[in-house]
Amino acid sequence: MRAHAFVRRFLFLLVLLGAFFTTSSSQPATTHAQEDDFTRLILGEILDGQNSPVEGVEIVALAGEEEIGKTLSQPDGTFILHLEKSDFETLSLDFQRAHFAEQKIDLFPQEIAQIQKGGTVTLPPMTLTRRIGPVFWIVTAIFIAMLVVIAAGHLHNTLAALLGMSLIFAISYLGEPLSEKLFIFQFERSLSYVDWNVIFLIMGMMIVIAVVERTGIFQWLAFRSYKLSGGRVWLLLVILMFVTGIASAFLDNVTTMLLMTPITIQIAIALGINPLALLMPEVFASNVVGISTLVGTPTNILIGSYGNISFSEFLVNLTPGVLLSMAGLIGYSLYVYRKDYRVASEISPKMLERLEERGQITAPENLKKAGWIGLGMILLFVFGEHIELLPSVTALIGATALMVWIKPDIEEMIEAVDWTTLVFFISLFVVVGAVQEVGLISLIADWIGKLVGENLILAMIIIIWLGGLLSTVIANIPFTAAMLPVVGFLTATIPGAETKVLFYCLSVGSAMGGNGSLIGASANLVTAGIAERAGYSISYLYFMKKGFPALIITLMIATIWLLIRF
Amino acid sequence: MSGILCAIRGGPASQPTISLAIETAKKYDLPIYFLYIVDLDFLASTNSSRLQTISEEMVEMGEFILLATQTQAEREGVTAHGVVRHGDVSKEIVALGLEVNANYVILGKPKEEKTNVFTHDRLHSFAEIITEKTGAEVLFAERNQ
Repeated sequence: MRAHAFVRRFLFLLVLLGAFFTTSSSQPATTHAQEDDFTRLILGEILDGQNSPVEGVEIVALAGEEEIGKTLSQPDGTFILHLEKSDFETLSLDFQRAHFAEQKIDLFPQEIAQIQKGGTVTLPPMTLTRRIGPVFWIVTAIFIAMLVVIAAGHLHNTLAALLGMSLIFAISYLGEPLSEKLFIFQFERSLSYVDWNVIFLIMGMMIVIAVVERTGIFQWLAFRSYKLSGGRVWLLLVILMFVTGIASAFLDNVTTMLLMTPITIQIAIALGINPLALLMPEVFASNVVGISTLVGTPTNILIGSYGNISFSEFLVNLTPGVLLSMAGLIGYSLYVYRKDYRVASEISPKMLERLEERGQITAPENLKKAGWIGLGMILLFVFGEHIELLPSVTALIGATALMVWIKPDIEEMIEAVDWTTLVFFISLFVVVGAVQEVGLISLIADWIGKLVGENLILAMIIIIWLGGLLSTVIANIPFTAAMLPVVGFLTATIPGAETKVLFYCLSVGSAMGGNGSLIGASANLVTAGIAERAGYSISYLYFMKKGFPALIITLMIATIWLLIRF
Repeated sequence: MSGILCAIRGGPASQPTISLAIETAKKYDLPIYFLYIVDLDFLASTNSSRLQTISEEMVEMGEFILLATQTQAEREGVTAHGVVRHGDVSKEIVALGLEVNANYVILGKPKEEKTNVFTHDRLHSFAEIITEKTGAEVLFAERNQ
C-alpha cells in the first residue's frame, strides 16, 4: 500500500513537472511563421487600465471586409502583425479578447502607404477597456464563497480551493458552449497563473523540516529555555518567545507550534501555571517573527516570488521592525498574564527528571548534518540572488542534499511532504488567476489607486491595516495571493513605491493579522487544538480578547518602522 | 486486579473528576487508573502530514499530564497508574474498564459544549453501557465551573 502511495505521489510530481515545462514552452505558432517575413509589419503593445500587458489579444487586420492578417499579443503585451497583401485602400485593426471590450482602429493614409512600400509601422501603446459581464460576477461570487467557506471551517482549505477551481473550469468549459460570455480561460492559460517557484520552495522546505523535527531539537530548546531562565517565569517567557520566533523564521509556523505546544504545556504544568500564559505569547511571536525571512511564512513566499524580493531584502527591511514588535509583544504578554506568572512554583524533582528525559536531542548526527545543510541553504538564499538563483532551486538542492547525506526512508520523506498544502496552493493560484482574468483585481487596483492617488504613506497605511484587519476574518494566504497584483499595480504607479515597500506592508499586514483572531492563522488553530487536548480551552472569544490588542500593538510598531525605513 | 477508572484530559475542568477519584479510592482502598486518550481530530482543520511526529508528542504530553495527576493522588496516599491510549474515547474507557476489572468508573459531567464528546443525555446512556459491559458502577463528578 505504501509503495503504491509512493508511486502515486511520484506520478503526481511528474504531472506537476510536465505542466511546468508544457506551459513555459508553449508559444503561439504564428509567431514563428511571422519571423520568416520581415515586410509589411505592424508592431504594437496592448495594455490594460493598470498599464499591465495583456496577453492573448486577437488582432485582425481588415482591408474593407477582407481579413489580411491575424496574430495574438505575447505575454509582454506586444504583437507583430504581418499583412499577407499590400493592395488595399483602407486598413483597420480589430482587437478582441475575452473580458475586454472589442476595439477597432483605422490606420492613417501615411501609415498605409508605408506598409504598402514594404515598411513597418509601430503603433502607440493601446489600452483595452475591461468588460464586466455575467462571468465577472460568477467568478467573484466563487472567490468570496471560497474565502467564507475557509474562514467558517465548513470545508478543509484544500477542498474549498479545489471546489473553487473545479467550478471555474466547469463554468468555463461547460458554460461556453451555451454562451460565450461564460468563458473564463483555457486550462493551459490557467496553469500560467500557478507560481511554480512557490510550489517547489514549499516542497523543498517541507522535506528539510521533516528531517529537523525528528531530531528532538524543539524539545531540547524548550527544556534549555527553562534551565536558562532558572525558574524565573518572565525570563522563561522571553526566551520561549524568541526560540519560537526564530524557529518560525526558518521553518513553517504550523510545524513550530505543533512541536513547541506540547512541551510548553508540560513545562507550564510542572511550574503550576496556566499553559495559555506561555502558549499565547509563543503563537504571537511565531506569527510576527516569521515575516522576517522569505521562507518564514507562506505569505512571504508568495510575496517574495511575485515581487522578486530576496531573502536578504526581507531580512534587512523587516527584521528591525519585527524585533521592535517583539519587544512590544513581550511587554504586552508580561502585563496581560502577570497574575498567572506570579503563582509559579518550583518544579518537583520527579517532573524535572521527566522533562530532562524529554529535552534530549534524539538524532544528534542528523541534526548536525541538517545544521550544515541549513547553513548552506541560508548562504545560497542570501548570495544566490546575485546569480539569479531562485529560492525554490535552493530549497530543492538543500532538501535533496540532506536526503542523500542522511539517507532517510525515502517513502517517509515523501510522505512528509504536505501534498494537501501544495494542492491547496495550485488550486488557489488558479482561482485567483480567474479573478484576475475577469477583471476583479483590476477593479480593486483602480479603486485603491484612486483612493490613495500618489500618496505613498496613505497607500502603506491602507495596505498594512487593511491586510491586518482582514486577515483576522479571512485566510491570509488567499487574501495575499489576490492582493499581489493590486500591490504590483500600486508599486508601478505611486512615486517612491519602487522600493517594494508596499510588498513589505502586505507581508506585515497579512502575517501579523493572524494574531487578531483564532482563525487568523493555522498555527493558532493547531495551538488551540493541542491546548484543548490538555484541558485548556482557547475559545474564539478568548483568543480575540488577548490577540486583538497584540495585533494593534504590533501593527502600530511595524507601521512606524516601515514609515521610518522607507 | 480491581480499581477505579478515571478518564481525564487535564486542566482545571478535570479537577473535580480527579478529586472524586481520589476520594473514592481512599474510601474503598482501591488504586486509580487514570486514562488519557490521544485525539488528533483538531488536525482536520489544518494541513499537516506530520501525524506520526504529532502523535508521539501528544502521547508524551498525555504521559506528563498523567504523571502530574498521579503525583497529586500519591500525595494523598493513593496508588495511581497512568494509561495513554489512542482512539475512540467511549471504546477505550470500556476496554480499560474490562482490562483492569474496574469497580468504579468516574466521569466528569461536562458543560453543554458542542466540542465535547458527551452531552448530559449521552453521558447517562454511556454510563449504562459501561455498567452493562464492565460491571463497574459509574460515578459522576460535577464540574464546579
